[in-house]
Amino acid sequence: MKQDWLPRASSGTILVWSFAALCLFSLATLWSVTEGIRGPYEMADSGMAKAIFWRQAVWIAVGWAALLVARRTSLQFFEESAPLLYLGAVALLLLVLAVGPEIAGAKRWFVMGPVRLQPSEPAKIALVLVMGRLFSHYASRDRQLLPVIASLLLAGLPLALVLREPDLGTSLVYVALWLGAVFWFGLSWVFLLSVGSPLLSAIFNFYSESVVHQAWPWGAYLLVLMAGLTVARFRLLESFLLVLANIATGVGMSYFWDGLKPYQQERILTFFDPARDQFGSGYQAIQSKVAIGSGGLFGTEYLQGTQKGLAFLPERHTDFIFSVVGEELGFVGAVLLIGIYLVIILKGLEIARKARKSFSSQVAIGVTIYFAFHVLVNIAITTGLLPVTGLPLPVMSYGGSNLVVSAFMLGLLVNIGSRTFES
Amino acid sequence: MPEHHYIQARILRGVILLLFGVIVAELFALQIVRHDYYQGQSLQNRQVQIRVNAPRGRFLDREGQVLADNVYLADITLPRSCLSEAGPDSTLSKLLRWFAMPADETLARLGEQKEAGRPRLTLVANADMPRIATVEERRRELPGARVEARARRRYKHGTGFAHIIGYVGEVRAEEVGDEDDHLAYHPGDTVGREGLEAAWEDELRGEAGLFLKEVNAVGRVVGSREVPLWPVVPGGDVTLTLSLALQDSLAVAMDGRAGAAVALSLPDGEVLAAVSNPTYDPNLFTRGISSQEWRDLLDDPRHPFLNRVVQATYPPGSPYKIVTSLAGLESGVVGKWSHFEPCFGSYRFGDRSFRCWRRSGHGDLGHGGGLVHSCDVFYYQLGLRLDLSQLSAMAQLLGLGQSTGSPFTAEVDGNIPDKAWYDEHYGPRRWTRGVLLNNAIGQGEILVTPLQMAVLTARVAINDRDLTPSFRLGAVGGPAHVARPLPLAVSNLEWLRSTMTRVVDMGTGTQARLEAIEVAGKTGTAENPHGEDHAWFVCFAPASAPMVAFVVILEHGGHGGAAAAPVAARWLGDFFEWHERLFPGGA
Repeated sequence: MKQDWLPRASSGTILVWSFAALCLFSLATLWSVTEGIRGPYEMADSGMAKAIFWRQAVWIAVGWAALLVARRTSLQFFEESAPLLYLGAVALLLLVLAVGPEIAGAKRWFVMGPVRLQPSEPAKIALVLVMGRLFSHYASRDRQLLPVIASLLLAGLPLALVLREPDLGTSLVYVALWLGAVFWFGLSWVFLLSVGSPLLSAIFNFYSESVVHQAWPWGAYLLVLMAGLTVARFRLLESFLLVLANIATGVGMSYFWDGLKPYQQERILTFFDPARDQFGSGYQAIQSKVAIGSGGLFGTEYLQGTQKGLAFLPERHTDFIFSVVGEELGFVGAVLLIGIYLVIILKGLEIARKARKSFSSQVAIGVTIYFAFHVLVNIAITTGLLPVTGLPLPVMSYGGSNLVVSAFMLGLLVNIGSRTFES
Repeated sequence: MPEHHYIQARILRGVILLLFGVIVAELFALQIVRHDYYQGQSLQNRQVQIRVNAPRGRFLDREGQVLADNVYLADITLPRSCLSEAGPDSTLSKLLRWFAMPADETLARLGEQKEAGRPRLTLVANADMPRIATVEERRRELPGARVEARARRRYKHGTGFAHIIGYVGEVRAEEVGDEDDHLAYHPGDTVGREGLEAAWEDELRGEAGLFLKEVNAVGRVVGSREVPLWPVVPGGDVTLTLSLALQDSLAVAMDGRAGAAVALSLPDGEVLAAVSNPTYDPNLFTRGISSQEWRDLLDDPRHPFLNRVVQATYPPGSPYKIVTSLAGLESGVVGKWSHFEPCFGSYRFGDRSFRCWRRSGHGDLGHGGGLVHSCDVFYYQLGLRLDLSQLSAMAQLLGLGQSTGSPFTAEVDGNIPDKAWYDEHYGPRRWTRGVLLNNAIGQGEILVTPLQMAVLTARVAINDRDLTPSFRLGAVGGPAHVARPLPLAVSNLEWLRSTMTRVVDMGTGTQARLEAIEVAGKTGTAENPHGEDHAWFVCFAPASAPMVAFVVILEHGGHGGAAAAPVAARWLGDFFEWHERLFPGGA
């Protein structure tokens, strides 16, 4: 096994230390975010309350508890109770749509005094567990299509509910978790082509219709697909059905696009053309890049970031917290933070690969995908590589729900890892 | 374990590492490769160039008392975009509600300001404390609203100096310069519109400065870090030759009657007081004048905006006899003691009869008596002995019919007609020597300004052909100034001065007499086509060693000796009483 480049300490120890490092990193950054506001500036915007830092500290304590619970509870319990947990999560998602207060145009939270809970976060755990149970059940059988379709329904239900809130970012996490689980479960090329090509078709159709306003990219894609099917000697009926599916998803994409909220459409279009909206989501992306870019190699020094301090950076305590790290600690600090995440992700991958039971392996890959997707997409957004959508940086971003869920996920990983190596 | 997990793990690890690589590469591009660019963007984000107007120079009187200065007021301003951001929750809507301002009217006013290119729109000018407090305290509910200090011109003795100092106004669109040139005029700037405010604009204005200041995301200046790029050069204060006390005294002496009066110090020619009636309050313009007020002032038949000291022309009437006498003496057509035909109340020339102002006639007066009693018949006969060019040349030598060199851009020349002028206006050979009769007594087509008459009086009083009026202390004259005598026989000037003394002593100007000081003067009662005669009085004093020249005209005031001479007496009385204080060290 070629994993020698990772430290030889037990994977559990490494994960726990990584989590501890992230907690400290988060607290340090939030201290800076709530600190560095200069005198007269307070008059215009008193900035972030110090309470954010203290609340996060409390949430971190809760997170450690969650990690220990996930670490100590038997995996069999999780496997058995997965359907129940899943149903509970879906019920909560329904409940929040029904009774949740509307905050900034979205129904995403339960509000209990000073605490806001986001049920779409624990639903990620439930989805990982329930898909793990589903796929482990079919792990040693030949029938592939049935569990894939079943998992699609399992993931599709919370996804639809979260889209209703609306919360595009979180719904994309469900998509990623589902794709990861399916990929890990294992699929034939035929299947990948059947599922993947309609997806590509949708993307090309969107690009044709909404970005360049010309038909040729989608048309060209369909021609290439048909040529490929011919060359690969697909049967006529299969080819015909596949092309039909491609056309269907392509056309369906148009309807899906029309169904999006205007601000969601705007964000996506702004990604392709940032000058569209210099003061909305384009503004956020530009300011974030300015903050990171001005950090340079070593940053402006801790607490000294001006973009952060003067409030040019929006959402600097939550989704754009990475920009603060980039500004104040520079390239060195940013790469160090990314390194911690990479350690967790690669450890997770290793644990998933080495897990003895199929359920453990599926859950481990789910956790790994969870971290990889959140970290990659969040940082890609802050560096302007992806359009702005609400997605926290696990553990780092201020917010209890995500922190506790991330801790719990890590606990699961440690749990699985310990059984792989030590039990 | 299923073997395919090994392959999948490799693929997944490859993809994840690749994506992380992309992100680290992007970070490298942002933070290392393009660091300088983003550093610049970061600076640009929080540093804005702020142009700071220089405080405008003040006007002081000769004793250093402030006549015009600047007061700083608080305006409540909004960004230009406030008009397009409608809705009940917009800052503008909230303020209109809270301040109970009429919406339509206010919106129209803001629209005008936006049209004029103002960088920010003034919702409330010169706001009171409750409104300022509202905006400051509820700032977070009022994005964009600001309380800004603005300098406003204050004319402390508004009506008294209106025509001399003038007033300022806001720059017009066509005067606004390049936006990037901080020294050029920017929308909302103040510019001198009339009087010395306009004439000395460049000096009073100073130079606007440029600063880099740190702002936060909502554009509010924060912190005290401030980098000067270009220093503010304050406008220069200007000390006038005028005296507040003498100006007030003259206004009182004029008693609001339409006309003008001006006093020059001798030998320097400093304007000590200059009044033009009726007057107006220049503070109207800086306070914001309503269009109704503006129309009323413009339509006033008495023309309050006219600076009669330099912009109004009048027939000089009898004081012009000074010119006629000097021309006659210099050309030798008349002696100091010459006698002509006696005056029986009129003089016949051709088929026309020219009347003397005194219907009963003066009898045989001689040259001196003719001036003392202002006998027109004597001067008709003297005029006929002269060539027109001799008369006009003498008038021009003494400063009539031309600019006095005052700083007022609107100063007019008046008219001293010569042969060429008559040829042009009547046609060659279409006029007769009869015009000499009118010219000799300062009527006809002759037009002069009060300031020109003051220059004439001053020049003959101290025999200085270069004497020009100055409005600014220390600007002209001073110790370096050496008088250049008029190209006239000194004995003729002495005769003139002693005769003018007799005018006040025993002639038409007795009402200008002072107790202790001998005054030399000449009255005038100028006929004019618009109604009652204008009353003139020109004089200097003390007669033997002149310290001041004084001229007054009262429009339609009637007889110069009765109406105008007392104004001189009154003002000269104050002048000599305060002389020690006004001219410390003695002039």
